[in-house]
Amino acid sequence: MFRVNYKPSTSHWIFPPIILWVLGILLVIMAIQRLIKCKKQGKPFFAFKNYSFFVANWDKVRLIGSLVLMVLYFPAMNLLGFLPASILFLFLFNVLFVGIEQLASIPVAFKTRKFWSNRDFRSLLNSLIISVVSSTLIWLIFGKLFKITLP
Amino acid sequence: MEMFTFGITQLLMSLTGVVVGIIFGALPGMTATMAIAIFLPLTYAYNLNTSLYLLLGLYVGGISGGLIPAILINIPGTPSSICTGFDGFPMTKRGEGLRALRIGITASLVGGMISLAFLWFFTPPLAKVAINFSAIEKFLIIVFALTIIAALSKGSLVKGIFAGFFGVLISLIGQFADNNKMRMVPDMFKVDLRMGFQLLPVLIGLFALVQIFQEAETGMKEAHQTADLSKQSKKFSFKDFKGQGFNLLRSGIIGTFIGVLPGVGGSAASLLSYSQAKSQSKHPEKFGTGCIDGLVASEGANNGLTGGALIPLLSLGIPGDSTTAVLIGAFMLQGIQVGPLFITNNPIIWKTILLAMGLANILMFIVMFYPIKHIVKVINFPKARIFPVIILLCTVGSYATQNGNMFDVWTMLFFGVLGYIMTKFGFSVPSFLIGFILGRDLEKYFVDSIKGAGGSLSTFFSRPIGNIIWVLIAISLGWAFYDEYRTKKRARLAKEKK
Repeated sequence: MFRVNYKPSTSHWIFPPIILWVLGILLVIMAIQRLIKCKKQGKPFFAFKNYSFFVANWDKVRLIGSLVLMVLYFPAMNLLGFLPASILFLFLFNVLFVGIEQLASIPVAFKTRKFWSNRDFRSLLNSLIISVVSSTLIWLIFGKLFKITLP
Repeated sequence: MEMFTFGITQLLMSLTGVVVGIIFGALPGMTATMAIAIFLPLTYAYNLNTSLYLLLGLYVGGISGGLIPAILINIPGTPSSICTGFDGFPMTKRGEGLRALRIGITASLVGGMISLAFLWFFTPPLAKVAINFSAIEKFLIIVFALTIIAALSKGSLVKGIFAGFFGVLISLIGQFADNNKMRMVPDMFKVDLRMGFQLLPVLIGLFALVQIFQEAETGMKEAHQTADLSKQSKKFSFKDFKGQGFNLLRSGIIGTFIGVLPGVGGSAASLLSYSQAKSQSKHPEKFGTGCIDGLVASEGANNGLTGGALIPLLSLGIPGDSTTAVLIGAFMLQGIQVGPLFITNNPIIWKTILLAMGLANILMFIVMFYPIKHIVKVINFPKARIFPVIILLCTVGSYATQNGNMFDVWTMLFFGVLGYIMTKFGFSVPSFLIGFILGRDLEKYFVDSIKGAGGSLSTFFSRPIGNIIWVLIAISLGWAFYDEYRTKKRARLAKEKK
């Protein structure tokens, strides 16, 4: 039990099983701890009924939206190129994080011909300015000045 | 003979680091760790010596910036400023906000300088002791670090240890250096995962994306409070520090000591120092009402942490906190091994670190002390506008890891999601990261130890220093179990009282 069979050809498989054993033992300890806790509190071991993974009133649009935008952004850089894709997605991230309700201001602003005085439309314009300026700056600083490979 | 690297470029790098760090520290939800993770790719453009000015500037600035929202709106910008608001905010309420900020900034400078002195004096002797360590002791030191990190991390002890060893397991994915054979890699990822997951995308995912997902989940709410510094009832004077000498020294030492302990974090430094100042004060009843002693204790300790956390990193190769765990990435990216031989093999880098730390502290003071009236405006930066830029910086940084590999960008996202899920189940992300960083070394020293002992595991009990480390492991685990039991008991009693 207190020996390990060391062979150079199989030495890459010595340590991972040990760590898996340690993790397995820790899992068992965690299960026992939970079992004792549940028994004391008179709760079932698997309590899915009142379980909530997310915080109360979690923001579905922002959380799922940010994940979806990231998944779309990465391949978009290959398709459109770094700068166009970054400007587009930075704008979308801005709109998502500030609040997608602002999108409703687009038809209103065009109808009334009031662009800058419309607060929501102004926010959209700010999003556009931020995305163009920051993407271009990062492209210039990282890509051109520091010669870091960009997507 | 060149002593260290310094010039106008390094000065500008340090200044940039300090300013950006202060902004990150001042914005609740953004940390020094996040700032360093995002700016690590710049180390590709500069050599390590120059990059260290930027990274250490970010570290010092990030820790110091946390005092701004803590004092002005009672929301700590970083966990290490947790106690700063206890007395800083009451001072702001009675029109002494500017005075409180300047007291905090000065205490931060003194705390940072005390820890720098400890770093300078204690790292070389500790490294000299560690040079004599064999593979057995090195293996045990890493196990000790993992247990102490887990034991002192927030939440369940067993979950903390599990997260650390899970990080070790993930780090083992890929080719084993001794026999060049692959393990735990699915066929479709044989090319991308030949060398395992790259550190940079992993830590960017864990420290930047997790934060963004958490903020997105809660709706990216801004702190809708603005501080008014136009009317000041009492001005700052250096005479405010009369009688604070011992408090400053004690706080700096406590911060440094907490920094040396792996994984404890700045919030513990701030809390311990604050409670010590309160318990030893002649007027403990004044704490929490805008008392200078409390402010000095918290800010002196959290900046004391910066130098302390570098001591185990540079002498043993073990990061003292999550920020230095990210900092280790900078050394790894340049192929430099931190550990007992670091100072002997890299004397210029060592001296550069000392100079960069000292410079960062001085620049932090200059940048924050005089123009603080204007700097406080950064707390009004909307997070919703900053996070998209951070996503872009994260993507660029991850992509650059292997000179342009989209797999690393997906790795960043994968670990961002994994870290987010881990926090949901109470598993410590810093423990996971430190396990991931130290995992390969842990395996190397384990295999080297048993190779030399013909496969006998009893070799781990064969050396006197090794046995001392075993005792330390047992003590740290025993203490952690006791502390967890005591905390739970207190919480139960408090609940019953209610």
